[in-house]
Amino acid sequence: MKKKLKGIAPEKTFPGATKILLKMKLTLCVILISFLGAMASESYSQTTKLSLDLKNAKVKDALGAIENQSEFFFLYSEKLIDVNREVNIEVQRSAIEKILDKIFEGTNVNYTIKGRQIVLATPEANNEAGMSSVSQQQKKVTGKVTDSSSASLPGVSVLVKGTTTGVITDSNGNYSLSNVPENATLQFSFVGMKTQEIAVAGKTDINITLDEETVGIEEVVAIGYSTQKKVSLTSSVAAISGKKLAERTVTNIQQTLQGQLPGLTVIDLGAAPGRTNYTMRVRGITTLGNNNPLVIVDGIEQSLDNLNPIDIESVSVLKDASSTAIYGSRAANGVILITTKRAKSGKLSVSYNGYYALQKSNNNPTHMDTEDYMNLQNIAFINSTGAPKYTEDYIKEYVAGTKTDPLKYPLPNTWYQTVFHVAPQVSHSLSVSGGNETIKAVLSLRNQNQDGIIPNSSSKINEMRLNVDYQVSRKITLATNFNYRNQKVIAPVNEGIIYNRMLQLSQFTVPKYPDGTYGISTDGHNPLLYAENAGTANRNVDYLTGDIKGEWEILKGLKFSVQLAGRISLTAEKNFTNSYLIMDYFDKTKVRKSQPVNSLTEVRNDEREFTMNNLLNYTKDIGAHSVNILAGYSQIQNTYRGLNAYRQNFYNNDIQSINQGAFDATKSNGGNDSEWGLRSFFGRLNYAYQDRYLLEANARYDGSSRFTGDNQYSFFPSFSAGWRISQENFWSELKSTVNELKLRASQGSTGNQAVGLYSYIASFSQSEYNFGGVSVPGYGQTTMANKNLTWETTYQTDLGLDAQFLNNRISFSMDYYNKRTEGILLTLPVPGTLGLNPSPQNAGRVDNKGWEFLLGTQNSFGDFGFNGNINLNINDNMVVDLAGTGPYITTNTSQQETRFITQVGYPINSYWGYITDGYFQTDEEVANYPNIRSQIKPGDVKFIDLNGDKMISPLDMTYLGRSFPKYTFSSSLNFTYKNFALTALIQGASGYYARVGGALAEMGIWGSFTSKYVTNNYWTPENRNSRLPRPLKSDNRNINFADRDRINGAYLRLKNIQLSYKIPSSLTKRIRIEQMSIFVATTNLLTFSDLNELEVDPESVGRTQDYPQTSLTSFGLNINF
Amino acid sequence: MKYFKNVLLITLLAVSSWGCNKDLLVTVPNDRISKEVFWKTDQDAIGATNFVYNYLENVQRWTNWDAMSEIGHISKSTLAESYLEKGAQDATSGVFSSVWNTNYTGIQAANIFLDNVDRVVTTNPALISRLKGEVRVLRANFYIQLAFLWGDVPLLTTETTLEASRKLTRTPVSQVWDFISKELTEAAALLPNSHATADKGRVTKGAALALKARAMLFAGRYTDAANAAKEVMDLKVYSLYPSYATLFTYAAENNIEVIFDKQYVKSLYRNSLFLTMCPNSVFPASTLNIVPTKQAIDIYQMTNGKEITDPTSGFDPYDPYKNRDPRLKYNFIVLGSVLTNGKIYDSRPFSGTGDAVGSAEIATSTGFNVNKYLIKEDASDNGNGGLNTIYLRYAEVLLTYAEAKIEANQIDASVLDAVNLIRKRADVNMPVYVDITSQAELRKIVRDERLRELSFEGLHYFDIRRWKTAELVVPGMLLGMTYTDKNGALQMVTLPGFVKTFNKNRDYLWPLPQREVELNPNLLPQNPGW
Repeated sequence: MKKKLKGIAPEKTFPGATKILLKMKLTLCVILISFLGAMASESYSQTTKLSLDLKNAKVKDALGAIENQSEFFFLYSEKLIDVNREVNIEVQRSAIEKILDKIFEGTNVNYTIKGRQIVLATPEANNEAGMSSVSQQQKKVTGKVTDSSSASLPGVSVLVKGTTTGVITDSNGNYSLSNVPENATLQFSFVGMKTQEIAVAGKTDINITLDEETVGIEEVVAIGYSTQKKVSLTSSVAAISGKKLAERTVTNIQQTLQGQLPGLTVIDLGAAPGRTNYTMRVRGITTLGNNNPLVIVDGIEQSLDNLNPIDIESVSVLKDASSTAIYGSRAANGVILITTKRAKSGKLSVSYNGYYALQKSNNNPTHMDTEDYMNLQNIAFINSTGAPKYTEDYIKEYVAGTKTDPLKYPLPNTWYQTVFHVAPQVSHSLSVSGGNETIKAVLSLRNQNQDGIIPNSSSKINEMRLNVDYQVSRKITLATNFNYRNQKVIAPVNEGIIYNRMLQLSQFTVPKYPDGTYGISTDGHNPLLYAENAGTANRNVDYLTGDIKGEWEILKGLKFSVQLAGRISLTAEKNFTNSYLIMDYFDKTKVRKSQPVNSLTEVRNDEREFTMNNLLNYTKDIGAHSVNILAGYSQIQNTYRGLNAYRQNFYNNDIQSINQGAFDATKSNGGNDSEWGLRSFFGRLNYAYQDRYLLEANARYDGSSRFTGDNQYSFFPSFSAGWRISQENFWSELKSTVNELKLRASQGSTGNQAVGLYSYIASFSQSEYNFGGVSVPGYGQTTMANKNLTWETTYQTDLGLDAQFLNNRISFSMDYYNKRTEGILLTLPVPGTLGLNPSPQNAGRVDNKGWEFLLGTQNSFGDFGFNGNINLNINDNMVVDLAGTGPYITTNTSQQETRFITQVGYPINSYWGYITDGYFQTDEEVANYPNIRSQIKPGDVKFIDLNGDKMISPLDMTYLGRSFPKYTFSSSLNFTYKNFALTALIQGASGYYARVGGALAEMGIWGSFTSKYVTNNYWTPENRNSRLPRPLKSDNRNINFADRDRINGAYLRLKNIQLSYKIPSSLTKRIRIEQMSIFVATTNLLTFSDLNELEVDPESVGRTQDYPQTSLTSFGLNINF
Repeated sequence: MKYFKNVLLITLLAVSSWGCNKDLLVTVPNDRISKEVFWKTDQDAIGATNFVYNYLENVQRWTNWDAMSEIGHISKSTLAESYLEKGAQDATSGVFSSVWNTNYTGIQAANIFLDNVDRVVTTNPALISRLKGEVRVLRANFYIQLAFLWGDVPLLTTETTLEASRKLTRTPVSQVWDFISKELTEAAALLPNSHATADKGRVTKGAALALKARAMLFAGRYTDAANAAKEVMDLKVYSLYPSYATLFTYAAENNIEVIFDKQYVKSLYRNSLFLTMCPNSVFPASTLNIVPTKQAIDIYQMTNGKEITDPTSGFDPYDPYKNRDPRLKYNFIVLGSVLTNGKIYDSRPFSGTGDAVGSAEIATSTGFNVNKYLIKEDASDNGNGGLNTIYLRYAEVLLTYAEAKIEANQIDASVLDAVNLIRKRADVNMPVYVDITSQAELRKIVRDERLRELSFEGLHYFDIRRWKTAELVVPGMLLGMTYTDKNGALQMVTLPGFVKTFNKNRDYLWPLPQREVELNPNLLPQNPGW
């Protein structure tokens, strides 16, 4: 690969843009075609034209030639049809009927064409049935085939076993088969379903339900650029079906994935509507920077946010180097592959999924009682100033007043009751799916409205998806996906201050007086005012993706495919800050709070990304050897443009158009542009011998615009092997117990290119200054450049074992992995003396070692069914090397804030602080001890002088444990009884500490929320063995971050429980509904955690000053027509 | 045919994208300027000079200095500065790293300028030489704070690389002062006495010399300080502005007394001085940070020139602000002052106004507010101030001259002349000092005058540290106004919970920021006591 040297090439921008436009036009064209195509289409037999030129050929060969040239296949009995008869046929582009007429001219053979299937029969068939034993009773068998949701299954092949006699179910799933011997066995098969065999045994009416083939080891899973049978996997991939995911009512897909897949840790951080907030990690923390896994939806990199859970067909998590190396430079944090649903041919099916849910806050700490709080404050004031704040009489008067005159004597803090409310969430999804042999389409529509649990907060999503598959010719298929989503999000402007002020600086305030006047705290705040009246931030996002994929089967087993995709995200924001004037409720002449200037910031962001994937795939079986080769080329181009504008002093708060703001020096605007590109070559080789010995090799050669010079390209190889012991002859005796056993091993490397753009360019940014009242520009370098920047590389070894017991009743899987990340991309803190912001560098090494276990079972006992699984992940993270630098400790402006350290020998981002030894109990003890500050008294925290230098300083801080879970576990349990199903997901994490900072840790030192758990839980001379130190006012000496602030983060929770009921079809049929089920579900119903005492959700973090975690209780309905 | 058409279509699609975008991996940003294209024109040199000015202290940092001394108090007890006031900080405090980083960032910007500016092909060498002078003065200014607060610090005079920054060692403080002195002397020679209107606010010769006077005073090199101050005086460019009352207003911007200021413009380059200073009743829920203490007020003499502690002064504790040095009310808002909104300031605890002591955590905690820089014009759009903050004015030069002469024991008539000049400003008009020759007496006179004249201009925090009086004046309970209660008895506002401390064995030098030590252990040992 030749290096091209940079320089400025402005003239290049235009042709590129035209090309992009062209691509877009093509994509749109294809999307339109797919629309039209899906609406009007002809049947396969009408559209297919065949040419044959056969001299003295046997009928058998003629039929074979037709099968080769088309997708028709014949069903006939050689006993009835003389296929060795010779015929002469010469036709050009003729319809199948014409050809068949010619072939069977002059015979009594008649044919029936059903889609691609052609059944040949003779009138004698009724009498002879093609079976040797004429004495046998022959019967007509009829029935209906349905799937597990009672929906009828058209197109199922029903075959008399051992013969070629068979039919295909009609559009209602019904079939009728004549002349079936009484002792025959019927075989029902359908793509994606488990094949079933039923003995006729004299029955004339056989109805059957086919089960989906997604469970157990026969499962097919999505892997990079392809799919693979799970039995043939040699790498570590966890997968789950969309159907299973759809069982949970959630707002976003991340919540759905939580606790479902071994090796994937999802921490739900709670999220305001439209602002998902979560942490996703595949096998722990690989790097010091961006640890987000790569997400690929239908072959294209996309974000998981807002993807419609109903559209998902399957999710695969690629974990080891062998499975991820094919994604090269973006794969080090694991890859999440998502495929969306595609239509099956057959009758049009329409389904509706909807729910109504109520959300409530999961973070609702209770404030201390008024009297307890005032007493605590008095003790704090006495300890700090020598005098109490309140007299005994005042406390009595106040406490009585809170009951009789709450407007004059407001409770200390009622914000959790007044700002948060229960909020509804409604979702409707409608999906229409169907097609014929040539065109199949699935259209889905979604409308989701979510209100926030605070005022002025909501999200509305409207979206459509159209996935169409075309059988262009026997060898060429086209698939198009089109997804448009509009999301409107509203939130209070400057939302963060609401949660902050609920905890800080707003004690003893009436939220709202009877006449609507807001109360203002002595510090000038009211979070309810901020939520309701400070203005709103409106965000409108139009998200559009479209792709077209063509596949051409050049030769048998050799396929070439091209995929072109465009993704556009347009964001428009309107953030309006209201002006307002709040007067005193009791003295209407007095201004309590004013915001004199209103203002508007408008933002427009435009991001476009174009991807092309070209793949060549070759599959060949030679005897016991099977080979699969994949070669590919891929490129991605991304451009981003941003623009913003600001004005203030609008006529009133309702005039929110940028042009109406003051046209003076206060108006301003700004913007930014960027682009990046990625170009890749990759390949994979699979080899299997007797399906028993499996080998795989992967490689990717990636070039990225984020690096320069020789560092632009990098190579990522991987190898893996598997041994299916259960296929060995010596295993046959054990096969009834252990029907499947496989050992896997893989090793390889992957990369991470997640650094800021242009990190290698020493760029000057503009600053403003002014002289003589006139603004002047300044130019200077603010960030250091790093020309040597390159990928970080993760080397991973994985050893795995998969087993199935008792005919798949029990399954077990385990993996051990050892991941070593080298040349970590690290934005190292740099000395202040450098005077520049740091740029990312390749430095250091981090190890992740871990185990993953999955145990599953599925059983049924009559009407009862049970299946469940447990998975457990253990991850041990360790910084091995920081290239001679470090430690890196977070800098905090305040000493009570949580400190994290990244240092050799500790897990990334470990806690770092003081060790304590209870509280001082006597003055003598204080006198004989080095103190953190002057005037230490009994009841203060005794910090340990770890380095023995007779003073307490930051040098005495030490490692205080992990901040990221070492163990995560989950279990999903499904019970079914007749039409009822009960599903529960239990999930948890342990092996780490949590730290709740801010007000909840400060016990009223400042004028802040003081939790109920503080009540009588603090040091006084009478209560020396308390949990908390002596109260102080405006003095944080006792809350310097230390071991005593840690809380065991372990939790176990009933994440989701759902009860559903399938209404008997005998009832629903009367209203023409194929199948209908209703459910009720709730999330976060029960939690075991040390944080319960603080009434804080265990998944919350830091100061708990964010939109809280919520619990969702939902009622839903699923209907298939 | 159809078959072939389809094959064609797919092939075309593939080919149309394949191999195009050869520059896919070469992206050049167009929203920033790369180093390679810079340093070509005079404009580049000017732009890079302007950039260095950005690192002059911002308003918040600047006003906080005196609030951390005994004359002020930071109301927000959660601010890191509040911990310094109490002596409760450790080396991880954000104040230390912020001051350290801002100065070194300015130094790096200056060094990058000085290393590269000669790459500019210019037709105007005089301009380049002037710009070098400006940048060198700014760089020296950054070093003054570093040397004064930390003592030995790394002395960087060329662009620093990452590798180098991890290995730096500290230069003895005397060498840093030498460097500052030499730089300011040399830069002064490159700079004009004044600039054209469009360049008002740029460093001048007078600024270089006045800064040198301040630096040498801070370094205790009194003869150098006196000489530098004398040079400024001899320039005959500056004199005292006749009105102290309006010195800090829009009308007086760029007046004859101003030697160097940080220039602001409303809306374009704004400051929030009004919000930082204004009393609670003027703007509820302001971000009020800073209030003066009893010590700031009591230093003002009676108009007869006598201290209020002097029994013969005529001081009336029941009417404490009557007949006081006028600068008291110019500088501070006290009981009875008229506020920007026309209302009368009443901070007595029982007054029921928004300013009543104890009525809110953000109401004044001492019963006083700062008036300097608090002006009516900023009241309506109070986060959008455009008033220049004066970093160096002629009055300071006069006082520096007087103090340096006294400390160098070169006492002559010019010492009292300099002090008296300030006292005789038209709207101050305090009695002059005559016939005092004792060094000790003069020292007290100059120090007190310096406080009265320059309080809350970011100097007193430094003054008490170089006078080594901090250990005497800082420790103790926070004291505020004295007022007459409902029973006619005198009451003094105190904040018993807020006790200031100063550890003389530790606090005269700041600790190296903890992170700097972690990242570069060569800076150790830490300053004593930390």
